[in-house]
Amino acid sequence: MAMLPEFILLSLAFVILLGDLFLPKTTMRQWGALLALLGLVGALGSLLLLPQDATLLGGRFVMDQITWWFKLVFLVAGLLVVGFSADLLSGRIQDQKMVLDSAAEFLAVILFTLSGMLYLVSSRDMVTLYVSLELATIPLFVLTAWSKRDELSEEAGMKYLISGALASCFMIYGLSLIYGVTGVMELTQLDAEYATHPLVWVGLAMVTAGVGFKVTLVPFHMWAADVYQGAPTLVTAFLSVASKTAGVGVLFHLYIRVFIELIPDWSPVLAIAAFVTMTLGNLVAIVQENVKRFMAFSSISQAGYILMGFLGPTQEGVVAILFYLLVYAVSNLTVFGVIILYSSSTRRENISEYRGLSRTHPGLALIMMLGLFSLAGIPPLSGFTGKFFLFSAAAKAGYYWLVVAAAVNSTVSLYYYLRIVRQMYIEAPDGSEVRVQMSWMPRMALGLALIGTILLGVVPVF
Amino acid sequence: MIDWLAAHAPTLKHWLILSSALFAIGLYGVLARKNAISVLMSIEIMLNSAVFNLIVFNRYIAPKGADGQVFALFVIAVAAAEVVVGLAIFVTLFNRRKTLDVTQVAAMKD
Repeated sequence: MAMLPEFILLSLAFVILLGDLFLPKTTMRQWGALLALLGLVGALGSLLLLPQDATLLGGRFVMDQITWWFKLVFLVAGLLVVGFSADLLSGRIQDQKMVLDSAAEFLAVILFTLSGMLYLVSSRDMVTLYVSLELATIPLFVLTAWSKRDELSEEAGMKYLISGALASCFMIYGLSLIYGVTGVMELTQLDAEYATHPLVWVGLAMVTAGVGFKVTLVPFHMWAADVYQGAPTLVTAFLSVASKTAGVGVLFHLYIRVFIELIPDWSPVLAIAAFVTMTLGNLVAIVQENVKRFMAFSSISQAGYILMGFLGPTQEGVVAILFYLLVYAVSNLTVFGVIILYSSSTRRENISEYRGLSRTHPGLALIMMLGLFSLAGIPPLSGFTGKFFLFSAAAKAGYYWLVVAAAVNSTVSLYYYLRIVRQMYIEAPDGSEVRVQMSWMPRMALGLALIGTILLGVVPVF
Repeated sequence: MIDWLAAHAPTLKHWLILSSALFAIGLYGVLARKNAISVLMSIEIMLNSAVFNLIVFNRYIAPKGADGQVFALFVIAVAAAEVVVGLAIFVTLFNRRKTLDVTQVAAMKD
């Protein structure tokens, strides 16, 4: 029973695929997104109702409170992205060039990758971990290259595939080294006595490199800008939230569940990685013109903040990471929701093309501003609360220099987030007629994301 | 001859040298090759070096179980899936651009 959310997603994916095969061509275009949305609500409901402690398959599939929270983040991200996708799949948008082909397959692939992510955080041995990580990653290559009309999409798909496959090579080689020292596949049975073995260190470093690719830690972030820019905007939104959360899930496995004894030794390295990641992401984001590229660097810097939570092996660090993942998911998807809706009606992707959005679409501009402020960490929005927990976790671990650096970085990030707000609120519109249309599903998804962004900051969750 | 070979049977150390050499060759190929398909082949070499590692460790470190060999089979299967997706993307790319040179595919610049 503990696997019910995964089963719902997988069977739904097959129902959508087979339904597309046997029903008239337009049925899934019109109703597929609604079906997927209902299925995701069902999976979310089963996650909320099922007990939070369960062990299946001889300890290879485990459900606990932390796993439960990760699954919640994945399902919320999936729910919002599928909500945004409704108009793009059904073709009820102005610009027919932005319509995504093969609606049923698109939804099925999204559901497959989501089920891979859900399995990933529950897996407790190397084989399941590896296979579910690939189940979460390979469909993302397909999604990135989805748009056949857009040559940037193919290019992004190729770059993502090559760097992703390279990262998984490093990861599997590192896992094989850890297996070579310990002789066991179950992550729960790795003994502390092996933790100081040099080969385990090499293996762990290689796995971190492979996973750092997914989390976009500097120096493994090179792919992010091109892939985020080239992929269809909907896929970029999904990548930036779900794929990053999956990577953090694997890091969490390794550093907190398995090799917790290593944290005092590794934390200087992690602290430097966090510092470099947030600083580089922030500095490069300042000069970006394309809004998707801009969001890529913004999300790189957010990965740096998340890494701060790993520094202290304390209860606070774990809670801070988990809370910030949900905050990041809703805030980032609030911003991306507006980007998706705006670009799907107007095909505008440059920051300067957001000028005067507050006159033409005051609601969208307000929502986007709140999302950006939450990412920047302005109280009382959720981003502030999340960053506060992360910073205090790092401070408790004694990394005061990192907390200062992160605070300075937050200020820098406010500057570039305000660049978009300035375009929307201070610059005059360029006079061309723009109309952003949306049906009830994107409206609802945007509203939910916004409510999450505000409520998580105001209502104490922990 | 047989006796000599038996006396000089390769040990774990030799196998590990071979697998790390394979990994290094594959990494060099990924970085140096220009054709996308050659890059994909180099990635396969790297994956195979990891597979090799798993089997060797299974034989020498944990000979009681078959965990390493099972893992190796899974890696091979997943690698096949990865190649299928890769080749599909390369075909669409080639149809449009008539080239698979990875240094030429750079429409997005900073």
